Amino acid sequence: MTTTFTMAGLGDALIRLFFRGPSGTEIGGTADGVFMFIFWWSVVLFVGLMGLMFWFMVKYRRRPGRIGPRSVSHNTALELFWTIVPTIFLVFMFFYGFWGYADAIVAPAESLLLDVRGQQWSWMVTYPNGAITGKVMSTPTGGGEAYDPARDNPQAAIKNLGAKSIPLIVVPVNTPVQLRMISSDVIHAFWVPDFRIKFDVMPNRYTNVWFEATEDQIGDHWVFCAEYCGQDHSEMAAVLRVVPMAQYREVVEDKWGPKSLPPVEYGRVLYNSKCFTCHSVNGDKNTGPTWLNLYGNEHEYTDGKKRLADDNHIRESILTPGAAIRLGFPNQMTTFAGSLGEHEISSIIAYMKTLSDKGGPAAAPPAGAPAAAPGGTTGGGQ
Amino acid sequence: MTTLPAAVRQESYLAEGRTIRSWLLSVDHKRIAILYLVAITGLFVIGGFAAMLIRVHLLTPQGALVSKEEYNRLFTLHGTTMVWFFLIPSIPTVLGNFLLPLMVGARDLAFPRLNLASWYVFVAGGCVAMAAMFAGGVDTGWTFYTPYSTRFASPAVVLLLLGIFIAGFSSIFTGLNFIVTTHTMRVPGLTWLRLPLFVWSLYATSLVLVLATPVLAIVLVLLGVERLWGVGIFDPALGGDPVLFQHLFWFYSHPAVYIMILPGMGVVSEIIPCFARRPIFGYRFVAMSSLAIAVLSFLVWGHHMFVSGQSIYASMAFSILSFLVAVPSAIKVFNWTFTLRKGTIRLRTPMLYALGFVGLFTIGGLTGLFVASLPVDVHVHDTYFIIAHFHYIMVGGAVMAYLGGMHFWWPKISGRMYPEGWGVFSAVLMFIGFNLTFFPQFILGYEGMPRRYATYPAEFQVLNVLSTAGASILGVAYVAPLVYFLWSLRSPPTAAPNPWGARGLEWQTTSPPPPENFVAPPIVADTPYDYDHPAPEDPTHG
Repeated sequence: MTTTFTMAGLGDALIRLFFRGPSGTEIGGTADGVFMFIFWWSVVLFVGLMGLMFWFMVKYRRRPGRIGPRSVSHNTALELFWTIVPTIFLVFMFFYGFWGYADAIVAPAESLLLDVRGQQWSWMVTYPNGAITGKVMSTPTGGGEAYDPARDNPQAAIKNLGAKSIPLIVVPVNTPVQLRMISSDVIHAFWVPDFRIKFDVMPNRYTNVWFEATEDQIGDHWVFCAEYCGQDHSEMAAVLRVVPMAQYREVVEDKWGPKSLPPVEYGRVLYNSKCFTCHSVNGDKNTGPTWLNLYGNEHEYTDGKKRLADDNHIRESILTPGAAIRLGFPNQMTTFAGSLGEHEISSIIAYMKTLSDKGGPAAAPPAGAPAAAPGGTTGGGQ
Repeated sequence: MTTLPAAVRQESYLAEGRTIRSWLLSVDHKRIAILYLVAITGLFVIGGFAAMLIRVHLLTPQGALVSKEEYNRLFTLHGTTMVWFFLIPSIPTVLGNFLLPLMVGARDLAFPRLNLASWYVFVAGGCVAMAAMFAGGVDTGWTFYTPYSTRFASPAVVLLLLGIFIAGFSSIFTGLNFIVTTHTMRVPGLTWLRLPLFVWSLYATSLVLVLATPVLAIVLVLLGVERLWGVGIFDPALGGDPVLFQHLFWFYSHPAVYIMILPGMGVVSEIIPCFARRPIFGYRFVAMSSLAIAVLSFLVWGHHMFVSGQSIYASMAFSILSFLVAVPSAIKVFNWTFTLRKGTIRLRTPMLYALGFVGLFTIGGLTGLFVASLPVDVHVHDTYFIIAHFHYIMVGGAVMAYLGGMHFWWPKISGRMYPEGWGVFSAVLMFIGFNLTFFPQFILGYEGMPRRYATYPAEFQVLNVLSTAGASILGVAYVAPLVYFLWSLRSPPTAAPNPWGARGLEWQTTSPPPPENFVAPPIVADTPYDYDHPAPEDPTHG
């Protein structure tokens, strides 16, 4: 096999040299690995150099009557030696660090994506299900929760940061977590010292960091703002709590998530994430029947029967959609058994009632409820 | 030690006139150096006092002394004053002004009036800046990052920018003066490769001053324009880009780091051969490494921005260049160490400062490797690790060299010897106090304490208290030379022309020198490091 030298080949070689190919394996230095490498190299050099200096200082100290011998005051070979050898070490140090860095900056595609917003002087994190942490919520709609050191702190390691409540960010263990960050005002920097990650949070563009916490990192970790941002910069902190996946679900999905919303609101969120592609709420025909005036009315079916759309009928249609097909619509819907629990189904029914003239007075949407946007990521309260 | 005849003393530049007017209107480089000495000492006291308040405040996690806002103003006052009004002018404007013409055998700098103008410009800039910080209160830090500085900070920030802008012209005047003087005013026989290394380092510094300072002026003007008239340059709300500011700012401010340390390297290169009685080892490498540092210093600014979202290719290039800028510094350290070999070493005060410089600068340089490395910098960026790193360079390096140089040339400047015992005492105290202040900060930063924090979590308290204890020792060590230098002025100027038996041209005239520097123009036939031939004036006292 012959290898031809081409510019493309040179480019590939350079890419392999700097990025070690596309398969980011684990041989690059981590922050701590590189740190310790540079540290021991520096210690050896420093101790050697200072030892030499002290030895010269003692050996050649001024003594009466002794006149220093004439000696060479330059040595080109020696000069080249101590120019070239450190250069080689330094270039290696660069590569060792860069390899780890190149691996570390790109988040895996399957990462849990959290949105981080920095603003003077607090952090706010939005989860994929719309749950929000990062500020004190006076209503349960946002699902947020202030970090109360007196109540929430299970670990002596995390000390009280003054009298101020700071946000609690909960993330699952053994899961790549990507933070997509933006600032509302000035430049901040999101730093988790225990994870060795930091990145500026800019007001005009997203920046990203990611991490994957290990089992022995279960517990609380500081988050600090590292870029000076004004008066309360030193109190722009948060606690990042790494928990097992089950606990993460419990907190982020049940406690903070839309599940904690009133049933009508939760039903609207579920509609906006799971149902809206086939069912309209304004009477328009879509793949499936509209939800406008669906609840509590009788409709015709392909088997020739009429059925009353009551609670049980809707529950059956969600869990076994093929059991009865509305006239004029295809048998298209798949079952939601397993993906929607009883709380979800009853919440959807509660939402449907608000769309129907037969839904009853109790079903009127609460005044001032947040408007739901299509896409299903809005949990309200933002 | 010989006592000079009274007739010669009367002719010294100090005796030329005794009125305030004779000082303020003097175009004698030596008198202007004294004017600068007075100005920057005053500013150092202000910046140092701010540092002491900062350290006292950080004794407790909640902050022991001032409010958070006041704390933010204090570190801005400390940083701005120390960087622009002490470190950058310190060695060039005091020792450089005094010594450059003497070292090249000239009567004065090339442009004496420009030299005096530079002092007035500097003082004007200093007054405006101090007024802005004391009357208005600026809390941006010395880095003025946008959009905080242009949208949120107090309007007094514009006045502070103006002060720094004005002082920048003083830097440019001084740099131009030094470059032209070095090129055109060397006495016959003083070839480039016979120049004292202090002159080489001043020359390299001046190149950086002249090339980088205009960029600072531009960025300060752009900041002011955005702040005053809402022209969108850096603020995204106005369509600007805050990262552009960081590029422009560090394009000046990283070379500025070398403006601060290069002259100190030059001072050390003078002191070590004199007190080791050996020619400097590897003269050409030491001289050329100053130029290499000056050139490379312009190519590493992006290492301040590894977490700002700049392109990974940019970070890659800046990382490797930052590693390489360590090489010329390492060359100097190796050469200083080898200069000691086979010498006859006297550990007088200037030598203690110089050797202290080598040790502390080496720690500062080696910790620079950590921050040049991308993954490590991501962790330690904007933490106390960075604070410790650059204080090892700026205080352990530049200030130690400045004080070493002040002790070394004090007999030449004032005609008086300083008290040696007190000198040794304060040098040792300074070394101990410095390390106790700043070494704990490396650990603090790596463990997670960010910089510019008015309050901090309780787990960082022990190291902060240690650091404050060190700072108290350091404070005492700084006061001592101020007191004994002033005290020494009480006795008549009886210092010998060359009390150290040094070989530079500045030692071939009287102490203090006459207004015209040399009664007869000197002739140079060799390098200023010809210490192998015992000279008749070699001191026999230890």
